[in-house]
Amino acid sequence: MENNYHVCTGCSLLCDDIEVEYGTETINKIYTACRVGVAHMKESKEKVTFLVDNKPVDEEKALSETVKILKNAKNPLIFGLGASTNEAQKQAIELGKKINATIDDSSSFCFGSVVEALVTNKIKTCTLEDVRNKGDVIIFWGSNPADSHPRHLSKHSYFPRGSEKQRGWEEERTAIAIDIRKSHTAKICGNYFIQIPQGGDVELIDALISGLSGKLPKTSYNYPPKKILELANILKGAKFGIIFVGPGLIYSLENLAPLFRLMQALNEKSNFHLVPMVGNCNMRGFNENLFTETGYVNSVKFENGIVKHGSEYSIVESLKAKTVDAALIIGSDPFSSLPRSIAKSLLEIPIISMGPSETLTTKKAKVHINTAISGVESGGSAIRMDGTLVSFKPIVETKNPLEEYILKRIMEAL
Amino acid sequence: MDFGSFLAAPEIKVKVVTYRDIFQDKAMIENLFGDEYKHISAVITLDSADLKQLNVKKGDTVILKNSFGRVVVRAEESGYEPSHRGIAYMPKSSWSNMLVSDETCGKGIPRFQDISLTVTSAKGEKVTELEF
Ligand code: SF4
Repeated sequence: MENNYHVCTGCSLLCDDIEVEYGTETINKIYTACRVGVAHMKESKEKVTFLVDNKPVDEEKALSETVKILKNAKNPLIFGLGASTNEAQKQAIELGKKINATIDDSSSFCFGSVVEALVTNKIKTCTLEDVRNKGDVIIFWGSNPADSHPRHLSKHSYFPRGSEKQRGWEEERTAIAIDIRKSHTAKICGNYFIQIPQGGDVELIDALISGLSGKLPKTSYNYPPKKILELANILKGAKFGIIFVGPGLIYSLENLAPLFRLMQALNEKSNFHLVPMVGNCNMRGFNENLFTETGYVNSVKFENGIVKHGSEYSIVESLKAKTVDAALIIGSDPFSSLPRSIAKSLLEIPIISMGPSETLTTKKAKVHINTAISGVESGGSAIRMDGTLVSFKPIVETKNPLEEYILKRIMEAL
Repeated sequence: MDFGSFLAAPEIKVKVVTYRDIFQDKAMIENLFGDEYKHISAVITLDSADLKQLNVKKGDTVILKNSFGRVVVRAEESGYEPSHRGIAYMPKSSWSNMLVSDETCGKGIPRFQDISLTVTSAKGEKVTELEF
């Protein structure tokens, strides 16, 4: 029987069980997707495709303006690509090499270091199927999938029956939330919610490590030691434990050393894995594709065949130091996602934006190219939050050009 | 004449915790510049005791200010969250990002989770528009 399931590219879960019912011209109904996924799949609209100075132009004019900007730039920035297919990402990396660009994505201010630790095998990880089939102790640390990855709990991490977890969440899984705010996920975790003060994560990590070896756990914010010991005991007893790390934990760490300490201590006593709650559908893909090409997951500068890397090549530091003199922004909206105090530097340089929707960035762009939505209007592949490669075909047809096509045309014109 | 309008409105200092919201994400995909997205994003959730101290009712607008910016958003009263005086919650958005420091210690990571600001009544001033 032919498999008619589609993949949703609404977030990095890349749910592959989506059924679509077509009307005469567009999608009529979408089954199985969450609220965010449905909105994402229905986003498809025919729009004016090429704009220069916010006025409609033809493809040739938009491309010639793009090429002019990139040729004039000494250090152009290529940024975004978290919602692009692997194929478009690889094309953008090639373009970066050709024009001696700085290339980065939003992982430089979020999950980049964790993904780097995973691709270099510094942290034990597993797939979401492993979690569904075997997971018994699931920790959401600074993450809130009930809002950020709506089907995470129902499809993989908590509610489903798994091959070795036939009695599911009622008897065989313990979900624990550690956060500074009682999120919707924390509500689901009930008594297993540990609320810590802002910046209190490292102390809790060290208290847990003490608790794991039977020592009295202490924190400066006096979290009840008895509760930490209880938690440590649950973790010790895990046959297949997982920590789903979210931005809340990442932002409170100066570096990953505490996380390495915790994973080591946990794996001395039991069996623990770590999966990052990457946001965009293919941010992990960008990290892995750039790593394959350069040995680094983000914040790279190409210079005549040499690869430089460091936080000075991240979007944030490049904008602060004003070292980039043009920006090609692909499927991202840094005017919204960065602090305004930093994003304002983008106003001083010409911007070329590519993406499927109108954003603050597209409004400020010298050139805007309305491209197809990856996974909805274009096929390709992406890498799920757990590192699994997922291929997809388009759900609807579009006249909007693919990112990959535009990037190829820019390369040719250069 | 309403002499109250000459008196300085009460002001409180809070630390802001930002979060993601599924309804906000859905509204953003549908229309970043739409009313639904603005309604869900330009909002700060305060402890009921903090609201009382500010003399602000839920749904009123408030001014959020620090050295990085000033925005007007809607005030909400917390629901299921345990008491959190002095800590306020905001969905992560352009509005919260107007108040984030540009200090990064050269690491490329803004302090999204380290926002301190003052809150006062906006006395009916409208919510800040989404523009740059
Ligand atoms: S959880 Fe993510 S991938 Fe799955 S349907 Fe929702 S938005 Fe799409």
